[in-house]
Amino acid sequence: MSVPAVRFTDERLANGLRLIIAEDHLAPVAAVNIWYAVGSKHEVPGKTGFAHLFEHVMFQGSAHVSKAEHIGIIQSVGGTMNGTTWLDRTNYFETVPSHQLELALWLEADRMGTLLDALSQENLDNQRDVVKNEKRWSYDNRPYGSWNERTLAGVFPSEHPYHHTAIGSMEDLDAASLEDVKAFFRTHYAPNNAVLSIVGDVDPTVVRGWVEQYFGGIPANPALPIDLGDLSLPLSLGGERREIVPDRVPLPRIYVAFRAPVYGDPRLDALDLAGQILAGGKGSRLHRRLVRDERLAQDVALFSLGLIGGASVTAGWVTARPGVDLGRLEALFWEELQRLATEPPSDDELARAKALTEADELESLQGVAERADRLSMYATLFDDPDLINRMLPRYLAVTPEAIRDACATVFREDNRFVLTYLPVDQAVDGEVAA
Amino acid sequence: MIGGRPVVLAERPSPGYPRPYAFPPFTRTSLANGLSVIAVDLPGRPLVDASLVIPGGAAEEAAALAGATVLMARALTEGTERYDAVALVEATERLGASLHAEAGWDAVTISIDVPAERLAPALDLMVEVAARPTFPADEVLRLRDERLNDLLQARADPGRRAEEAFIRAVYAPTSPYHRPAAGTRESVARLTAEIARAELARRFDPARMTLIVGGDLTGIDVAALAAQRFGAWRAHPDVTPIGSTDAAPASIERRVQVIHRPGDVQTEIRIGHPGAARRIREFHAVSVMSAILGGLFNSRLNRKLREEKGYTYGAAAGFDLRRAAGPFSARAAVATAVTVPAVQETLLELERIRDGLVEADELAAARDYLVGVFPLRFETPGAVVGALVGQVVQGLPDDELLRYRSSIEAVTRELVLAAARTHVRPSEAAIVLVGDADGFLPALEAAQLGPITLERDDPADHADAADAADAADAATS
Repeated sequence: MSVPAVRFTDERLANGLRLIIAEDHLAPVAAVNIWYAVGSKHEVPGKTGFAHLFEHVMFQGSAHVSKAEHIGIIQSVGGTMNGTTWLDRTNYFETVPSHQLELALWLEADRMGTLLDALSQENLDNQRDVVKNEKRWSYDNRPYGSWNERTLAGVFPSEHPYHHTAIGSMEDLDAASLEDVKAFFRTHYAPNNAVLSIVGDVDPTVVRGWVEQYFGGIPANPALPIDLGDLSLPLSLGGERREIVPDRVPLPRIYVAFRAPVYGDPRLDALDLAGQILAGGKGSRLHRRLVRDERLAQDVALFSLGLIGGASVTAGWVTARPGVDLGRLEALFWEELQRLATEPPSDDELARAKALTEADELESLQGVAERADRLSMYATLFDDPDLINRMLPRYLAVTPEAIRDACATVFREDNRFVLTYLPVDQAVDGEVAA
Repeated sequence: MIGGRPVVLAERPSPGYPRPYAFPPFTRTSLANGLSVIAVDLPGRPLVDASLVIPGGAAEEAAALAGATVLMARALTEGTERYDAVALVEATERLGASLHAEAGWDAVTISIDVPAERLAPALDLMVEVAARPTFPADEVLRLRDERLNDLLQARADPGRRAEEAFIRAVYAPTSPYHRPAAGTRESVARLTAEIARAELARRFDPARMTLIVGGDLTGIDVAALAAQRFGAWRAHPDVTPIGSTDAAPASIERRVQVIHRPGDVQTEIRIGHPGAARRIREFHAVSVMSAILGGLFNSRLNRKLREEKGYTYGAAAGFDLRRAAGPFSARAAVATAVTVPAVQETLLELERIRDGLVEADELAAARDYLVGVFPLRFETPGAVVGALVGQVVQGLPDDELLRYRSSIEAVTRELVLAAARTHVRPSEAAIVLVGDADGFLPALEAAQLGPITLERDDPADHADAADAADAADAATS
């Protein structure tokens, strides 16, 4: 099996917009994907959640597009679209029948160039309400819903921009003003802060003409990039941290999170494979031991969130079956992590983890949308879109010893944040003393 | 203007010429034992999806054993004559494959994704799982306990809690749709390996099964591969015919069911009634109507509740189309304080779609979306095979997907209205609200939407809460 190489062109317009084009004529579809190098890490104190609220405003119209019309137009030509906000970036994307590509480009250009022409207090207030409901739905009204927030706060110091989540706080969302929207747009939403990737059934020469025509006149912001200062962090929390949360959950769950090497560090590749070996499906170590053999757990997970600013997060959880001794469960979970930190995995185990990684890569790169997203991602985060072709070989080259060493570096008691959710009745029974 | 040239051109570009598109052609052959084989060649798609459809899903179960089919499907990968569960996973992983068995309301499906050159050994694993599962008692017991724990988790999750309360409120207790496909606390507690084994036996008839294989099949003779592996299968003596499904409503009067969860910061709203079966003449009109009402981003419901009012992150409505009439529901999670206005706005939209013809541009947007997005839906083998699985499970003709786009294009405003009048019936709806009732109960009573039943979830005592639900269920039946 081999994953087909993605061939692409990579160039910049005079205003700094990076343009990446990959042709693929298998299906009559085209994907457009823009990454802006702005995320929740750029938010200032008192304005958490703003980058994401701003992303919503990007769908509220621009000079030649009315409120919600962007989505209406894309859907009415048979396309799909969305936007997402993360700590390091914000992205916007459309997949359309290929003969509608020009329209998608025009829509993206109109909001990159003229968003503020359509900005109104009414639309901002409306999307503030929508986002507050998104926060309630995705976090506040869900069992274990605060783990994300608590984990980032536990792993990153309060002065670090990864200390808070992209969804932010209700109070800060309330504080967002039209002036904030204008300043944020003028600072970050400039062509020299964006990567535009186009993948699919397209003619690159024609595409270049359209991109020049629609985006070429949008001015660069010479003040970019914004310097966030030195975000580097020691690869240790400097001592174990623990938190116990009484919550309306029926089953206790223990989250364990660690500071991990930055995204792009080969040790994070090794940790991805470690996540596969430890918790990737029914053949993994944690699943076999805790779910299948000892039957102490309902489910397990372990994964890394790759971040470029100082440190990543490796996190996992185990959900306890009713009545299980949580001390023992946590000890066994930890024992499996320690085992991989002291002994390299077997050749067969690593070969299976790599085969699965390869299959996942093949599966995810099938669609044009994912390819466009990856090209934008690797260009934005690493200035290296060709990583789309080199990440898999990197994974396949990871040695058993590299996995052991990466685990030994990260899975340390003085680098772990342990967050335990207890059903409120158990907590009331006295298990929560502090 | 920058340097004398407009920043962005005002003129909206017009589309180029669409490339012709048709759903990928496929071939169908039959093995001597009647097993049907569909092969769909998708050049350039090296990851192949193979799915075996075994008709007869959770709708076929006895109420007392609800969840048996889902449990059986999960247990298929827990051990076979050649492999124990772990060895099976390892063998699958060595192929770079993923193997899944699952049951829905209408069928059991066993699927494997694998690079094309390893299709043959992957099909060998599929044969193990489908024809030689051992249902180890101890592993089935574990799966049963996991489902019971999952039911506890479901009760704590407002969205899942709302789904469970909604189907109870919508369907009569005689209908299998009254309960979750994976079963209830009481029924799952009764399940055993023997019951799971019997569920497979009563469905194991190759003449009813279809194997669907999609991907780059260059140099692969799917029919021959299938004949070598599936050709010797014989029907199990315990095979039973597939029956019809009772989809009777619990009531045809509008009523309100409140699940009070103190401390919730949103209310999960579900409004609906038994909807439509998949195999109805007006399927395409229902699809267009449903897109206008609650499918598109700019659907009437989302435009009103999200983009105008800001009540929710998203409002939607739609039909769960099964062999019998699965539920129609309108749904949103809204801030507690706006619960009642959100329900009222939703009911207004359900009335309005029945009251008159939709606007021409609404019809065009929905029709153009469904027609235009069709090729996007089928970029990968998994999606193509998935659509064919649906076609087979629902007993649709082989040209159903080929005719889809022209059938959607033929939908008129009048057909949309007729579909709405038949299939959207707010006066018969169950309104289910899961949230902190202290924040909306007085307004709800004042709104006079129908008789109100109030149930309180006590998060501190799950067993009692479940028992209370069972008692409430008994009282309504």
